[in-house]
Amino acid sequence: MTSRWRGSRAARAGLSIVVALAVFATIGPLVAPHDAFTSDFTNGVSPLHTPIGPSRHFWLGADRIYRDEFARLAVGARLSLAIGMLATLLATAIGATVGVVSGWFEGSEGTRIPWSIGIGSLGAVVLALAGHGGWAVLAIAIGLAVRVTGELARIEPLKRGPRVNVDMLLMRMVDVGLAFPFLLLVMAISAALDHTTATTVVLVLGATGWLGTARVLRAKTMQVRSLDFVLAARALGRSTPGILLRHVLPNVSGVLAIAATISVAQMILAESILGYLGVGIAPPAPTWGRMLYEGQDYYLAGPWLVAAPATAIIAAVLGFHLLGEGLKDALGARD
Amino acid sequence: MLSARAIERTLVALATSLVVLGGCNAALEAPFAAAHPDDETPRRGGTLHLASIADIATLDPPIASDMFTSSVIRLVYAGLVDFDRNGNVVPDLASRVDEVDDGLAYRFTLRQGVRFHDGAELTASDVKRSIERALSPTTPSPTASFYQSIEGYDAYASKKTPHLEGVEVEGRYLVLIRLHERDSTFLPALAMAALRVTCPSAGESYSPSLSACGAGPFRVMPGGWERGRTLTLVRNESYFRPGLPYLDAVTWQLNASNPASQAFKFSRGEIDVVRDLSQTDTIRYEGDPRWKSFVALEPVHGMQGDSMNTEIPPFDNVEVRRAVAAAIDRDHIVMLKSSNLTAVTKPVPPGMPGYDPHFEGQRYDYAAALAHMKKAGYPFDPATGQGGWPAPIVYDLARPSLQELTAMSMQQDLAKIGLRVQLRISSLPTLYSLTHRRGKSQMSPQGWEEDFPDPSNFLEPLFSSKSIGEEDTLNYAFYRNAAVDDALARARSERDPAARARLYEQTERVICDEAPWAFEFAYRFFQAHQPYVRNLHGHPVWIADVTDVWLDRERDAVARKEAPLLRALSAGLGVAR
Amino acid sequence: MIRRALSRMAWALAVVWAVVTITFFVNEVIPSDPARMVAGPQARPQEVARIREQLGLDRPVAARYAIFAVRLVHFGTSEIDPKDPKHATCAAFGPVHVDLGRSYVQRRPVVTILAERLPRSALLAAAAVAVQMILGVAFGLFAAARRETVWDMATVAATLVGASIPTFLTGLALQYVFAYRLRWLPFDGYGKTTGAQVTALVLPAVTLGLFGAAFATRLVRDEVSAALALDHARTARAKGASRLGVLVRHGLRNALAPVVTVAGIDFGQLVGGAIVVETLFRWPGLGLVSVSALLDRDGPLIMGTVLVTSIAVVVANLVVDLGYVWLDPRVRV
Repeated sequence: MTSRWRGSRAARAGLSIVVALAVFATIGPLVAPHDAFTSDFTNGVSPLHTPIGPSRHFWLGADRIYRDEFARLAVGARLSLAIGMLATLLATAIGATVGVVSGWFEGSEGTRIPWSIGIGSLGAVVLALAGHGGWAVLAIAIGLAVRVTGELARIEPLKRGPRVNVDMLLMRMVDVGLAFPFLLLVMAISAALDHTTATTVVLVLGATGWLGTARVLRAKTMQVRSLDFVLAARALGRSTPGILLRHVLPNVSGVLAIAATISVAQMILAESILGYLGVGIAPPAPTWGRMLYEGQDYYLAGPWLVAAPATAIIAAVLGFHLLGEGLKDALGARD
Repeated sequence: MLSARAIERTLVALATSLVVLGGCNAALEAPFAAAHPDDETPRRGGTLHLASIADIATLDPPIASDMFTSSVIRLVYAGLVDFDRNGNVVPDLASRVDEVDDGLAYRFTLRQGVRFHDGAELTASDVKRSIERALSPTTPSPTASFYQSIEGYDAYASKKTPHLEGVEVEGRYLVLIRLHERDSTFLPALAMAALRVTCPSAGESYSPSLSACGAGPFRVMPGGWERGRTLTLVRNESYFRPGLPYLDAVTWQLNASNPASQAFKFSRGEIDVVRDLSQTDTIRYEGDPRWKSFVALEPVHGMQGDSMNTEIPPFDNVEVRRAVAAAIDRDHIVMLKSSNLTAVTKPVPPGMPGYDPHFEGQRYDYAAALAHMKKAGYPFDPATGQGGWPAPIVYDLARPSLQELTAMSMQQDLAKIGLRVQLRISSLPTLYSLTHRRGKSQMSPQGWEEDFPDPSNFLEPLFSSKSIGEEDTLNYAFYRNAAVDDALARARSERDPAARARLYEQTERVICDEAPWAFEFAYRFFQAHQPYVRNLHGHPVWIADVTDVWLDRERDAVARKEAPLLRALSAGLGVAR
Repeated sequence: MIRRALSRMAWALAVVWAVVTITFFVNEVIPSDPARMVAGPQARPQEVARIREQLGLDRPVAARYAIFAVRLVHFGTSEIDPKDPKHATCAAFGPVHVDLGRSYVQRRPVVTILAERLPRSALLAAAAVAVQMILGVAFGLFAAARRETVWDMATVAATLVGASIPTFLTGLALQYVFAYRLRWLPFDGYGKTTGAQVTALVLPAVTLGLFGAAFATRLVRDEVSAALALDHARTARAKGASRLGVLVRHGLRNALAPVVTVAGIDFGQLVGGAIVVETLFRWPGLGLVSVSALLDRDGPLIMGTVLVTSIAVVVANLVVDLGYVWLDPRVRV
């Protein structure tokens, strides 16, 4: 009872921040006196030929090319919230699938891949790529030969190999994902596509942000699968997908909701980092990260150019974190 | 557990502190005065501390490709000729240069008794060896083709001959270089970094692990170059100009990419000259009367504009290009960083030899721009927003760059004549691969940094059809005009300076009218130095011309305001070591 | 146990190989021209073609991958003769040679560049993790000891705010306050003397550490609270043990395992991944060099940094996994 009440305070605080942001995003651009994309070379310029600070006409000052910072912040809010939520949708979908499947099949028998076949195929791939098709076929043949010899002559070491199951494969993919250079991937994707749009950023963030969710859901699924009704369903011979959808998923949904909320916070953070590094949505789109990037070598003289987007990012991320906190307390879930 | 109030308070505190901290600006520090400001006699001694945003790629002369690297190489290696402070080519290692054979050969008489940094004497055979090493087919030199007018170059570059026939050693101190055609750009090209003389220990062919050794006013000690971080050059005690250099040493902090950091170090006396200041700091230094005599805008070294690919619609239509050139408000662009930008309206920028002050070039004229669009067949009505070119125009640029800002101003200007520009930002290598290849890039920001101060250097690579390549074009607009090609070729072998100038002026007019580029601005570095740095001057070609700079301060008089914490820590740890 | 460790190591190797291979081919897919990067934008076409040939870039992708893979690890003599062109770019660990080729732009062996940069990144990562653990344990214990009070709420609020601020903002703020206004610490860079290096380490380490400390504090607080609520802790208290003693002996021991786990994993990530902080503070580590390698499309250097970074992450995970089993006997992974 007490924890629910406390939880609702955090949830309320978070919710109020998020709602305030949504309102700002919706009506901000309509209320602002200037357009977010038009430079004002008359009113926005100070006598020293620098952008003016917060004043009557420009509520949050003007940016490096004399556009209205307030209007840009509001349009940026639209972009950040939209990207955060859509990317989370994608990441959560992938992460939930991978996590649940992985957790369900954890510890299962799986199949055995003998070392000989594994190394043989690897060698074949490398040789084939190098253009030595003949050698590649030979490598596979050798691998197979070793395996068969082991079988016939009953030599154990030649038959040995690691055991692999779905869980192991998926978790190795997660490892590769974690070890992969994020920046390179982002640059590669943005170079392959002509134009960095909100869509590409959502895809990139979604495709790289599911790893944490997968791990959390895997742990939770491993807990849930030993619950009574799940065991009962298995005993009754229900199909695996059926059990996963009808029994496991509803029980992990609490953890999923919390993970998703925190994920929105992380997506907004990640998007701002991408914008800050200059690999986010192409300008003149005013994402908060991009606004930080454009304002940063000016911040000692024009701190409003950094303070505005910085505060917005912190507030948005904090809001979703609080919401997640509140959910965590309300649902009584642990870690 | 959590109160909304606690969070509110934290956020407000954070926001306030950011504003408060940001709001108070530290006042500009006073300059550190010279010890004897009225005394003009140079004093020997001291180390000059500099910083640079850029990095030095190499200390091997033939490999240099940018002006900063070349300027540093020039301090370490002497060459046959050099540029003086007026941009003229003057003898350097050579005591005299004679033009013979009606301009088809040059004879260089070397100074006698010049010593390399490793003690060996510099003779004509070292000159030949250095030139052959630089132009060898195994040397990855980006500027080798500047010298293709040397006789025998083609045979040598394609490995048909083991030596460069056109460079002859006529005596111990006499070198003759023969050209197979007259070339007015040969001597300026020779003054650049690539063919400067290297020590015998550098050998005859290129190897990546060269230790820098030449005959210039400064030398590199072992360990003096910490890659990507600092470079220290030390006085060459046996430099052939007696008395020079005055400085004991000069050091650079490399990759100092944070303008705030540089300004900060300058104000504390950690660096003595600063040229990468932010907009605000530039304005403050400009406006402070104490600093008046110690700040200057460097000469123009290049120009920037937008290149329009004449092979891709709509820029195959000359009227559209004229419209673009007239629609861009260059004053607005300059206002984005007014302390460093100057408007440029033609290919040869102001301050360059060959600059034509009587010709206005491209001009901002909105009405004319609309008229050109109409003539092109794509009329645009600003009131309704109807018309113009129907598809978006993709503008390729790289980050980080100033163009990320200026492009957005250009974008707004072109929207007003019905051209919708979409920015496609990538990294520099990707940008190069797009803009240097045929058919890949519709429009992009381009510029040219002078290789040597001559109008041909700005006009030929960019606008001659000979410069067009499938994969590696330098004529980014793929612009072809037979009259322009003809004029440029004639100017190259023209020996009468007035006639030559007229040919280049003619070419400029055609190019500005047909507008393969919309010329926009030139970037000039704003430099501030401490008063105790004497005789610091700009140079039309080189950055950091410090051979005759001297320091005028008492030892340790400059209070290096080290923080007490730092000093105590350094002292303590120094002892412990 | 041994078999498990070996199998884990084998998988770790497979992961590293996968990352390196994917990176190689992704790097190929991006349109770029390293020869042009080396030659500069104003070099004439003949020069660029010549440089391209010298760098070996005119060969087909698959051939280049095969060469790269074969040269990566091979056997040779323990002492490399500097004049030997075949092994000029190798690093020797006994009879095993590792060859990452020569950087296109710097023209030095990639292994040399990595050997310079890795220790500095490791130093920064270690310092950041130390900050993270010290702050995390201190504040976590503090909050756990004062549960349900204002101090607890304030700490949790602070961790939430701390986790919401991107590292470059913290870095900018710290730099502004401590380097620009107060002038207690250097603005950026690495420093020449040991003393200067230590002071230069402070700001970047604290910036990185603060972010991790937010999570570590919560972790410690949760774990210690949970442990304190258990019976044997209460009993000890009832028997008269001091609050601090109980806190440390019962609470901390349980909290230590997850905190060390997180610290270990973070160390692995930070070794190659502290790009933003390294850029902001000009810290000469792997992050900076990997960004410039990416921007210059310097293939060999990209492969080198990706290799080292992924090995760091994978090894850290491995050590943590195996160490966890050894540390906490209750867990059987």
